[in-house]
Amino acid sequence: MIWKRYIPIAIVGFFGSLTLFGWFIENEGIKSFIDDDATQWYDIIASFAIFLGALNLLKLQFLKVLKRKAGWEYSVVAILSFLIVFVIGFFMRGAFVVDIPNTDIQSTYFTQGAAEEAVNHLKDSGIIASITPAQWGAHIQTEGGLFKWMFDNIFTPLSATMFALLAFYVASASYRAFRARNFEATLLLLAGIIIMIGRVPIGSLISSWMIMYLLVLVIGILINTYFRSRQLVFGWVALGLIGVTVLGSSMGWPIDQPAVFYLPALQEWIYTVPNLAGARAIMIGIGLGVVVTSLRYIFGLEKSYIGNQ
Amino acid sequence: MRFLEDIIVKFGSVDRRVIFVLIGLAVLVPLLNPIDLAIRPTPSSQRVYDAVDSIPDNSKVLISFDYGPSTKPEIHPMTLGVMRHILSQDRGHKIYITCLWPDGLYMAKDALKIINEEYDLVEYEDYVLLGFRPGNEAVVKGLASDLRKVFTVDAAQKSINEIPMMEGVNNLNDFQFIFTGSAGYPGTFEWVQYGADPTGVPLSSGTTSIQVNEVMPYVQSGQLQGILAGMPGAAEYEKLIDTPGIAIQGMAAQSYGHVVIVLFIILGNLAYFITERRERKY
Repeated sequence: MIWKRYIPIAIVGFFGSLTLFGWFIENEGIKSFIDDDATQWYDIIASFAIFLGALNLLKLQFLKVLKRKAGWEYSVVAILSFLIVFVIGFFMRGAFVVDIPNTDIQSTYFTQGAAEEAVNHLKDSGIIASITPAQWGAHIQTEGGLFKWMFDNIFTPLSATMFALLAFYVASASYRAFRARNFEATLLLLAGIIIMIGRVPIGSLISSWMIMYLLVLVIGILINTYFRSRQLVFGWVALGLIGVTVLGSSMGWPIDQPAVFYLPALQEWIYTVPNLAGARAIMIGIGLGVVVTSLRYIFGLEKSYIGNQ
Repeated sequence: MRFLEDIIVKFGSVDRRVIFVLIGLAVLVPLLNPIDLAIRPTPSSQRVYDAVDSIPDNSKVLISFDYGPSTKPEIHPMTLGVMRHILSQDRGHKIYITCLWPDGLYMAKDALKIINEEYDLVEYEDYVLLGFRPGNEAVVKGLASDLRKVFTVDAAQKSINEIPMMEGVNNLNDFQFIFTGSAGYPGTFEWVQYGADPTGVPLSSGTTSIQVNEVMPYVQSGQLQGILAGMPGAAEYEKLIDTPGIAIQGMAAQSYGHVVIVLFIILGNLAYFITERRERKY
């Protein structure tokens, strides 16, 4: 009980308080601990966390394969990929640089054998070359090395492909789910369309006058829907179209005036005014949440990290 | 009228594979046949440009590559643009590169390869690649306090003490400007909270479009000197430094992609309203 509960809680409480109050106490020792030692400890623990994460991943994938759960075949691929990258990263240099002295010419080979073969070929042609194995640690980023090759030719395209698929799913999902069902949904829909078109260059080609004409017609539809009066609709549309045309002619049809109807200006306003207000509210909420959770940890009220619910 | 409504309703229930093909075409065609579209810099991109432009001569600039290959098309052009801007002025700036993401190291190597072809830089004289360290915000906090405790060697395993351009560089206070190309956590937030705010070093950022909402408050409060927002931000920066690149080329594809999505949304809504009305009627 003492080792499993009280001591961990005491450690967290002590170091939590030290780190928190250290910001307000003018003491070189505490300041140095917070700024340097604590962050160094964090870095070391974070490095260990990578190993723990890798082990956890392997455990989960192995269990999936052993229990023949749905999609276990993918787990086999995951385990094999992990092991291959692990072995290549930790036990194979995979980068042997063949260098011709006094020139800029150099080439990197995956194996020592291939590099020696290249040196022998050069020797036959009367060129003396040397082999320099990449330094451990630097070998994973040596241009032409095996690890870098894998990163450039396997990981990068796979990663980019996964992210690119998002465009297709966003298109399909927004087509199905973006419906003007009520006032809030309509507002979201309009804001989404304005941002989507206003953010890209094609949006700056759409004149604010076109938006105004469209607006006149849309309001006409709304009047027709709610009042069912032909005279009213005709009157509004006719007056609206004439009004926009007269205003446009008098102003010389500038593409970005009036700015309130110009999509790039409108999207900038949405970004910087209503959106910012919402983002700030969320940030302040998160900040308060972080403060409360941290205090709960310091006072020993939050014990989920030692397995308590 | 009924016939037109039937067509719209039919389009409203189109198979998603059709949408995939159309999106694919909308993106592919402009990429294969580049179309020149006018790009207007937004105030936030202009602010990044002005911040980089106002860095004093012979400054030390820290660039952090906090992204991986998945967001490379969006963020890589921004970091390249900022690097080009810093170097094009030939004002004696030196570039220091860190990575909060493990694959950021490869992004940095790739960027340096491209930039080296254009500017013929000398490693350890014009730039140093410090590399990746695990620890997320703790790394940024460590850099703000004592860089030499976080990085004892650079990415090529060379001791920091043996690198001439590291002389006099002990923490973030020794830099005149920081730029982070960020795709999420750790990234812009951590640089603002643990790097720029405590030290007062000007910071700008380039992020994915999806992150802009969250980062914008920092821009308005002045904690962040502008933001390059997604691929449009990258294209705007390329326009500002007058070096057209992959982002400007990509904007036509993104434009048409967005237009197709918006058209489908409108079509879907029209079909929804027609169906609703018919259901109410019968």
